[in-house]
Amino acid sequence: MESIKEEAIHQTALKLAEEIKNLSIYKSFYNDVQKLVASPNVKKEDFKQTLQQAMKEKGLDTKLRNTVFHWVRTQSKQNKLDPLTSLSKASAQWEKRIHKSLNSMCSDLETSLAKLRPQSEQDDLSEKWHELSTYNLDLTKYRPVYAPKDFLEVLLTLSGYVPFTREDEPKWEFAHLPLQVKTLDQLRNVYVEWSNGEALLGVNAYMPSTVPGFSTLEAERISLGERVAVLGYAPVIQEYLKKGSPQCLRARLWMQVLGSEIKSQQTSYFNQLKKSVLEVDLMIDKLIFKDVQLTASNDDQYFVFEDLLYQVMLCFSRDCEIMQHLKGSIGNPLNVTIKGKQTSAESVTVFPPSGIIPFHGFTMYATPFCYLYDDPVQLYYTFRAFYIRYWHRLHYISTHPQGIVSLCLLYERLLEANEPLLWIHFRNININPVRVVFKWLMRAFSGHLPPDQLLLLWDAILGYDCLEILPLLALAILSFRKENIFQVNTLQNVDAILADLSTISVIPLLQLALMKP
Amino acid sequence: MNHEAKKIANTMYGRVNAPTVERCRVNFCTDLEKSVLMSNFERRGWNQVGPDEEWNFYWASTQTCRNLFSVESGYRMNDNQMINHFPNHYELSRKDLLVKNIKRYRKELEREGNPLAEKTEVILHGGQVVTRYAHLDFIPVTFVLPADYNMFVEEYRKSPQSTWIMKPCGKSQGTGIFLINKLSKLKKWSREAKTPFHPQLSKESYVISRYIDNPLLIGGKKFDLRLYVLVTSFRPLKAYLFQLGFCRFCTVKYDTSMTELDNMYVHLTNVSVQKHGGDYNSIHGGKMTVQNLRLYLEGTRGRAVTEKLFAAMQWLIVHSLKAVSSVMANDRHCFECYGYDIIIDNQLKPWLVEVNASPSLTSTTVNDRILKYKLIDNILSVVLPSDGVPDVRWNKLPTADALGNFDLLIDEELLEKDEATNNPGRSNKNKTR
Repeated sequence: MESIKEEAIHQTALKLAEEIKNLSIYKSFYNDVQKLVASPNVKKEDFKQTLQQAMKEKGLDTKLRNTVFHWVRTQSKQNKLDPLTSLSKASAQWEKRIHKSLNSMCSDLETSLAKLRPQSEQDDLSEKWHELSTYNLDLTKYRPVYAPKDFLEVLLTLSGYVPFTREDEPKWEFAHLPLQVKTLDQLRNVYVEWSNGEALLGVNAYMPSTVPGFSTLEAERISLGERVAVLGYAPVIQEYLKKGSPQCLRARLWMQVLGSEIKSQQTSYFNQLKKSVLEVDLMIDKLIFKDVQLTASNDDQYFVFEDLLYQVMLCFSRDCEIMQHLKGSIGNPLNVTIKGKQTSAESVTVFPPSGIIPFHGFTMYATPFCYLYDDPVQLYYTFRAFYIRYWHRLHYISTHPQGIVSLCLLYERLLEANEPLLWIHFRNININPVRVVFKWLMRAFSGHLPPDQLLLLWDAILGYDCLEILPLLALAILSFRKENIFQVNTLQNVDAILADLSTISVIPLLQLALMKP
Repeated sequence: MNHEAKKIANTMYGRVNAPTVERCRVNFCTDLEKSVLMSNFERRGWNQVGPDEEWNFYWASTQTCRNLFSVESGYRMNDNQMINHFPNHYELSRKDLLVKNIKRYRKELEREGNPLAEKTEVILHGGQVVTRYAHLDFIPVTFVLPADYNMFVEEYRKSPQSTWIMKPCGKSQGTGIFLINKLSKLKKWSREAKTPFHPQLSKESYVISRYIDNPLLIGGKKFDLRLYVLVTSFRPLKAYLFQLGFCRFCTVKYDTSMTELDNMYVHLTNVSVQKHGGDYNSIHGGKMTVQNLRLYLEGTRGRAVTEKLFAAMQWLIVHSLKAVSSVMANDRHCFECYGYDIIIDNQLKPWLVEVNASPSLTSTTVNDRILKYKLIDNILSVVLPSDGVPDVRWNKLPTADALGNFDLLIDEELLEKDEATNNPGRSNKNKTR
């Protein structure tokens, strides 16, 4: 038995070693180890021991551990095709519709999806790169390709096969889909620190600390967080984030837990992305400008960061690494010829190179990072890591337990099981309860909650490495405002009651929902 | 919306959720029929009367207030009357007098040998070394023109590359302001101002201040802060800071090049100026909350420097008030809410630009309206005794609940009591000094 186990560990280690050789950090890491071996700290007689010791002292040990951690996280357990054919069919159809709409917008506006930028325009764009809000574009005819409500309509038509449907069940329920989602009790086991009533940041920072030597919870968390950040070991940071990060450490901790630290390699890659924005004019650029204008520029929390966001979002669209990371989860992007370029292998581009077509409000996935990073490059990589790990699941159809379909279903089940009266009220007034919360879920509450509250919520996403907190918060808010919802009977009025979340304290509300009655 | 519907809406949307105060017979009078004022008075069930009738609470313009207190008017207020200005608020709100008072205050402390007036050498970011007050250097170097012209020239010669800003003493909202970077330009201006075509200009005095040419920029844009400070008494000094201030952003990227020196959209953050810029956005009005400023600074610069900045702003406010406390007519019928305009430089040092005795109560955006509604509501609950009826005999010690979004900045009476009870017979350093 022992030997089998050891054999398995050995095999895993071999596989890992092979995989690491393919990673971008391998070369520099290998160099560092070689240098270390040549140093007097490592002794030939006791090679293994002394090398391990030296690696620990040099921080290479943490680096290796973090590399394995990040690699393991990128290995999706669901490499198989979507088991629900109806869902994959719907997803393909939806993608086709988006592509069609892009093409018809192009022909209506008599432009092309991709063309070389004339030199004069390149110069102009380059000169205004740091203040793109002054870059003159006529965007009056451009419309977002789709909005959350369009996407919701698509989701609502996913009927799946419906063996359990009873006659009295309304047609709109996600419950028809044969997907597994957690119950509130199961969620309590996931968010165990929260359901045990442990002290969290975001409830009351001045709460007295239970640790001797600290006057407040906040002081205790800052001191612990500083030590965790210095240690730099990603799994420990993830654990730390479960109970919330102080704002002053957040930028660093998020970067560490996502492995999105900046080195010269990242900076030069970002500049390459910028260069490709300058060279090729993609129709999507206008949509990006339009989206930043429609969302961030008009938002009193984010308008200041407008110019930063143009840069980040434009570069995002050119980043083909995103598509490589998300292969299999984001469908099949278009291939288009770049007009004005000589016909060659290079004249064809994936449209857009990232494979991601933004919807109305897409920029909101990036805006909160403006409160953490001044530098566009730092902002870019942490936002991108967040997107690759989480956000893409919120606007692609899949059966993934963290995907938008499962989250909608989870919300529905939670509401039905825990707020039956609200559920019945929604049935009586014939409103699909997912309608009133869908935009929250799809944007991960960005633009709906004030940034300080939002950042605390996203701490929990990183800490527990899952998105189930989103439907849970939606439920908690509805539950908190249910007395008012009971008094109205139109979608418009329910929306009005839920429109303003500026007074919501996210963490206490969630902890209350998770703590056993 | 009728009154009842409003009440329901208020509780429904959960935003402005103050409980309705019991009806009592307070007669109010106002010179400004601003909705944030009227809705607050109405919610308290107050009754509007004219200025010649029996009022208890007067929200007056500064002019009305001065007239009321003037000897000619012969008006005597009774114990159940309150008014929203001190008769000589201009000691604080006129640009030249504010400077004069602060200079005098520093000199007095220096003469007493008070450690607060300690001086130190600082290196300007242009490189020259100058001597400044270590703790009380919170207004840019300023002179009154034409009176201090010679002193100005002397200072100007020390660093001829620097830019100066000219402001007429008695005007507000950015009118008449311009920048100067050459002495010749000032001379030209003064010659023109004295020509018969501008007789009104020749009488007016100006302040000229060193221009803060290294402001903190966010998203590449310049901003200033508007903080609200409520004073209920100057002797002893009792002052409160409203937590919900905001930053006002310029719509145009900050640029100190010569070509942009005359572009006031780059330099002035006043909403009244920015509103006329092509890029003014009426949804947010270029305003961001102070809480978000704090969040941003903590996230990008760290906690210690952010805390230090906010402490320095409180310090600045307290000492600007102490600087005028001896000259203010401390009438017990009066309270006043000041709009403090502060600029933060890129070293995260705050500078007091000016103090407004009648901060705008016009709402440019929805959030602005909510903020100003709360401001008025909180002012009323701090200045009035708990029964809500004006009474000058009350002790002006509001409960923690009554403070709402106000934080206590300083209450000299409380400090004195604390000292007496906590440290009998021992001299104690004043908490806010």
